[in-house]
Amino acid sequence: MMTKTTATEPLITVKGLRKSFDDHLVLKDIDLSVYPGEVVTIIGASGSGKSTLLRCMNLLETPDSGEIWFHGSNLAAERVDLNRLRESIGMVFQGFNLFNNMDVLDNCTLAPVTLKKMSKAEAEEEAMRNLDAVGLSRFAHASPASLSGGQKQRVAIARALCMKPDLMLFDEPTSALDPEIVGEVLNVMRGLAEEGMTMVVVTHEMAFAKGVSDKVVFMDQGVIAESGAPADMFSNPKLPRTREFLSRYLDD
Amino acid sequence: MLERLGKIRDFICEDHRYVFLSTSVIASLGLWFSMQPRSSMSFLRQAYALEVVLYWYLIAWLAISAAALLLKLTHWNNYAETSPFRKKPLVTVVRWMSYFAWLATLLLFVDRAVMGFISVTSVALQQDTNPSGFLSSIVYMVDKSYPIIWQGIVTTVGLSVFGTLIAFVLATLLVFLRIQTVERSDNDAVRFFKTLGVGFAKLYSTVVRGTPMMVQGMLIYFTGFGLLKNSGMTVSEIGAIWSTFVAGLVTISLNSTAYMMEVLRGGIEAVDTGQVEAARSLGLSQWQAMLKVVFPQGVKNAIPALSNELIVNIKDSSVLSVIGVFDLMFATKTVAGIYFKQVEMYAVAALIYLCLTMIASWLLGKFAKRLSVNPTPLTSVSDMDMTVGTVSGKEEYSLEGRKRENKRKARYDNPKSEQ
Repeated sequence: MMTKTTATEPLITVKGLRKSFDDHLVLKDIDLSVYPGEVVTIIGASGSGKSTLLRCMNLLETPDSGEIWFHGSNLAAERVDLNRLRESIGMVFQGFNLFNNMDVLDNCTLAPVTLKKMSKAEAEEEAMRNLDAVGLSRFAHASPASLSGGQKQRVAIARALCMKPDLMLFDEPTSALDPEIVGEVLNVMRGLAEEGMTMVVVTHEMAFAKGVSDKVVFMDQGVIAESGAPADMFSNPKLPRTREFLSRYLDD
Repeated sequence: MLERLGKIRDFICEDHRYVFLSTSVIASLGLWFSMQPRSSMSFLRQAYALEVVLYWYLIAWLAISAAALLLKLTHWNNYAETSPFRKKPLVTVVRWMSYFAWLATLLLFVDRAVMGFISVTSVALQQDTNPSGFLSSIVYMVDKSYPIIWQGIVTTVGLSVFGTLIAFVLATLLVFLRIQTVERSDNDAVRFFKTLGVGFAKLYSTVVRGTPMMVQGMLIYFTGFGLLKNSGMTVSEIGAIWSTFVAGLVTISLNSTAYMMEVLRGGIEAVDTGQVEAARSLGLSQWQAMLKVVFPQGVKNAIPALSNELIVNIKDSSVLSVIGVFDLMFATKTVAGIYFKQVEMYAVAALIYLCLTMIASWLLGKFAKRLSVNPTPLTSVSDMDMTVGTVSGKEEYSLEGRKRENKRKARYDNPKSEQ
């Protein structure tokens, strides 16, 4: 797969990002650029800081220092209009986080109706299109609690898509799922990548990282240890640490 | 309800193990009733022979039970095989005998307790002076001062119901102030007002929950009274607008607001942080996420504790009698003062408060049950069947399961309704 790094400006750029929880430094001077249309997967052991990095990218975690440039604004700066910028960054969580007090359709229409001043009918039409794309339009009026994990995660993706984001962040989207239903979520994500959505995916699914992404980032102890095209990373990792990590996964 | 009735029926008709034990308890109770003095309206007075038969029948039952117990103790290991009480026809005979023992006790209960109460009541109602007996004195006083007590009940219910409702509205507003957090994107004015709001809510909660409602009632009543007096109104004019009831209602509302705010805060904080994160990640502001996502779920979490607040208010409104609110406590005090029968009247008050709180808790239970049912219908029943094993919450699972059952039933009954 080709990397699309030429000519265009990066969609989101992380510069010198540091983040600590109490005394523990989780991210140590991270630099990362994601270009439009690119799919970047972040891999690494638990506790390596990959989820924190992703959550910093839409300021769900406030970084200690560093810059996050997106649409010409530094998200990490004080008093930036974070809410407006977040409208263009969709996020999918490990725990789905569907709104329990609403049915599936309302989950999808809440943000467009509230923030984009869309009419309810318009938003519902758009939501149904997105639910249809993830194969769940028939569950539009079901409550989230009645869905399986895979269905919940697909609804969560549809909900994020309803805001027509420029960037999608996936925080271990399949880690809470049974192995046999991981595929249905990955298929949706694969389709999204093929449509040209810019995606940053934190995952333990090496096959997905290898097959779908344009760039793989390996994180270890709060730093980006190694990054590159999936073909290089998986066949010829430079660092012994990367090799060790990958061999553990690729043996399965 | 039906399930419970079924259990009782099983117990009476099918479960042999407790026949002797439970019926013996009942028979002993019947014997105790038969030893009580007969009232003037006792019907067994006219049928003395019947009462003798009942008495000896119960004695006989106890003797048979004792024999069965003795057999059980001596043949512990093979009682089931050897005991005649476990074989037909004796099993059937004993069973029928137990029914008659219950009937005998019932007859004695009606004769002594029910007829006794009726006769005490009818005698007490015809008295011109307060009778000396505990029960008859209560009946006499309640009959004579019925309107006062009724007014007290109405005031107590009004105070607690309206007080709780007003407090809920105020607590909803106050908790919004309480849960604000300063964000990096806020400007100085927003930061200032958020900090001010949180501080006010904290201060309010601390002061109100840290002082007795009786003192608060006094303060509020006399402060209001003083302010109106200074504005040049006469006492009767003040009484028209700042009545003790109004002052009491203000007190109970403001007091309950603090407690309800804390309850709501607990409910809101129990909502999974992922819910806020999801809302914020879509671009909703903190305020919008609160209003649309967190708050509805938080209130739902808080419903049991919120409804408890009504019950607390029914009881605690009694302290407002110190400012002269004519609630049940004040009414009781008044009646007790007239007849100088404190124990009797306060026993009545306790019983009425107990009834009020039990009724309230029963109604609130029904209300909570109705609210926790998700009214959202499922569109596709057949699709739901595949996901039975994977729904997360146990409670939600049973709820959805039940809904599914109902839908399926409906489909069987009326196959066309799905199309």
